[in-house]
Amino acid sequence: MTLETADITPPATPSGKGKSLLTQDARTKKRNAAEIRFKAYGIAALAFSILFLAMLLFAIVRNGVPAFTQTFVTIEVELPADVLDKNGNRDIDDIKKVSTFGYNPLIQDALVAATADIETEVADGDLKKMLSSSAGATVRNAVIANPDLIGQTVEFELLASSRVDGYMKGRVVREDLARDRNLDAAHLDIVDALSQTGGVTRKFNWDFILGADASESRPEQAGMGVAMLGSVFMMLVVLLLSLPIGVAASIYLEEFAPQNWITDLIEVNISNLAAVPSIVFGILGLAVFIQFAHLPQSAPLVGGLTLTLMTLPTIVISTRASLKAVPPSIRSAALGVGASEMQTVFHHVLPLAMPGILTGTIIGLAQALGETAPLLLIGMVGYIASNYPDGIASGFLDPNSAMPAQIFEWAKRADPAYYERAWGGIIILLVFLMTMNIIAIILRRRFERRW
Amino acid sequence: MLDDKYHADRAVGTMQDSKITAKNVQVFYGDTHAIKDVNVEIADKTVTAFIGPSGCGKSTFLRCLNRMNDTIDICRVEGDILIDDEDIYDPRVDPVQLRAKVGMVFQKPNPFPKSIYDNVAYGPKIHGLAKTKADLDEIVESSLRKAALWNEAKDRLHQPGTGMSGGQQQRLCIARAIATAPEILLMDEPCSALDPIATAQVEELIDELRQSFSVVIVTHSMQQAARVSQKTAFFHLGNLVEFDDTDKIFTNPQDPRTESYISGRIG
Repeated sequence: MTLETADITPPATPSGKGKSLLTQDARTKKRNAAEIRFKAYGIAALAFSILFLAMLLFAIVRNGVPAFTQTFVTIEVELPADVLDKNGNRDIDDIKKVSTFGYNPLIQDALVAATADIETEVADGDLKKMLSSSAGATVRNAVIANPDLIGQTVEFELLASSRVDGYMKGRVVREDLARDRNLDAAHLDIVDALSQTGGVTRKFNWDFILGADASESRPEQAGMGVAMLGSVFMMLVVLLLSLPIGVAASIYLEEFAPQNWITDLIEVNISNLAAVPSIVFGILGLAVFIQFAHLPQSAPLVGGLTLTLMTLPTIVISTRASLKAVPPSIRSAALGVGASEMQTVFHHVLPLAMPGILTGTIIGLAQALGETAPLLLIGMVGYIASNYPDGIASGFLDPNSAMPAQIFEWAKRADPAYYERAWGGIIILLVFLMTMNIIAIILRRRFERRW
Repeated sequence: MLDDKYHADRAVGTMQDSKITAKNVQVFYGDTHAIKDVNVEIADKTVTAFIGPSGCGKSTFLRCLNRMNDTIDICRVEGDILIDDEDIYDPRVDPVQLRAKVGMVFQKPNPFPKSIYDNVAYGPKIHGLAKTKADLDEIVESSLRKAALWNEAKDRLHQPGTGMSGGQQQRLCIARAIATAPEILLMDEPCSALDPIATAQVEELIDELRQSFSVVIVTHSMQQAARVSQKTAFFHLGNLVEFDDTDKIFTNPQDPRTESYISGRIG
């Protein structure tokens, strides 16, 4: 091209020595302009993605951070022996006979005492609307844990109701309460007065991170902890199954299997499996593990097995890619000194492919950790009234939820207090994922070797 | 074709004490006939050079001698290759044992991404040649000495082999190959990635290795073949055109193709 144009156009310089290098010809100008335009597109795309990332992070932090704090009401509850322990012998079975409802009058008395100085039109019986309905259970649990408290007056920090909590966080305003039968504006006057004397405080709530889910009417009590354990048990299943199976399958396919139409077919199918919608794996898990194998519903074991099916193609693909990336000269070298094919793979090829395999595995695990759809079909989404599992076995087999399923569950509940918790749950999930990614980077660095 | 036969047969006639005998060897890559009816006898304790233009099949034939072609699915070898009168393509032969007996050095230096010591010790370890750590140390030292690398490597035995210069890496690969106590050493263009000084060192080394091994070297450089080998085989388009004493090949070639090649007219 350049030659042709040189033939057609006369020399630009007066001296007749050919084109000057100091002025750009039209072609070069066009080319440079295209280059600058392309760079500009790239920068614009980058700026857009950074903007959206910033917006996402801002939204998550703004909406989610309040979930980590909770409003507590501090009151002094009298624990009279004649109500809580009628026989007077501190027998734990007798104490347990008093239900949470038995504690409610004591809490009401304590509230009346705490608000004695405050002028209010709220009836004594309605004062407890300020507290979470879990208050009775909290006091009862404390008494059962330590029966010596009976007969004393003990200071308790009780969860405020979600409306009071919302008021403290600015989510609930007085006008909203006109049509709300859970709380009256008059209650808020009491809250204002109490918060000035330190009776109502807002502080960091470990129970949101470590606690169990709560029923629809008690958002202030709901926590992520049990679902987090469910996720951990599922990830254990996924890791223990998909890493060895996936790596073994890849090594066989890549290093040992003959190249014929069967292996081609398998290869195409593995690539296709990686693109199958995850809900398909969910219904497969339902059919195979629950309906056919009769494993328990809602169990992290089944969730883990289902997610293993989903993760395997990812691990196989990344492992094969990293095995392919090992230079063939290393294989020749090992075979040349008389290593068997298996020794070649395990002594030389696999160690070099390890960073790639680990990265692929952790990406697969992270994908599985964030997956909700398959869990819908095996009963891991919904209000699963579970406590901490008693041990490893029950961790795998007892009904549980998982972090993304828990977030989904909160997001669809009616109470606006759950909206905040869904955002907070996202923060916990992201911290989990980031931790896994950091582990991936550290492992990669550690295993990486140059050749 | 007739010419090839004549020269090959004549070459066999002059051989004494042969280590490797190839009879009517054919190699196919899928449908491609890469090696056509090669007959050759390679003597013990000599250096034999394979020369010829690119794609003439000299490397392919070399890789048949330790069955490295087994790893290529579409490759098929016919005919007989005997080492010490044993057919190496006999179904009873395990390629692993064969490759311990027939060591190989490759075109590009390819040390393992491990320490110098581990590079040399790997072969003896997997073949169980050393019973104790002291035995292994001794094998490593003697192999590195034979490869003329001991003085440069003795202070950095536990540093990565990949950190050495190209020439050192290739000598490390030679040390690694001779550590398994092979009887034959195959070298596939061992100096093509090296500078002249490193090449000279490796050539000197090859001459010394002749005391203990039968060396077969594939080379692009005719000067190198003339310098290091006693016997030279000229391959062209998959045929073994001529095989004779190196002096004779370079001074008085019988086949016109050989003459054109060494005088630079083809290739």
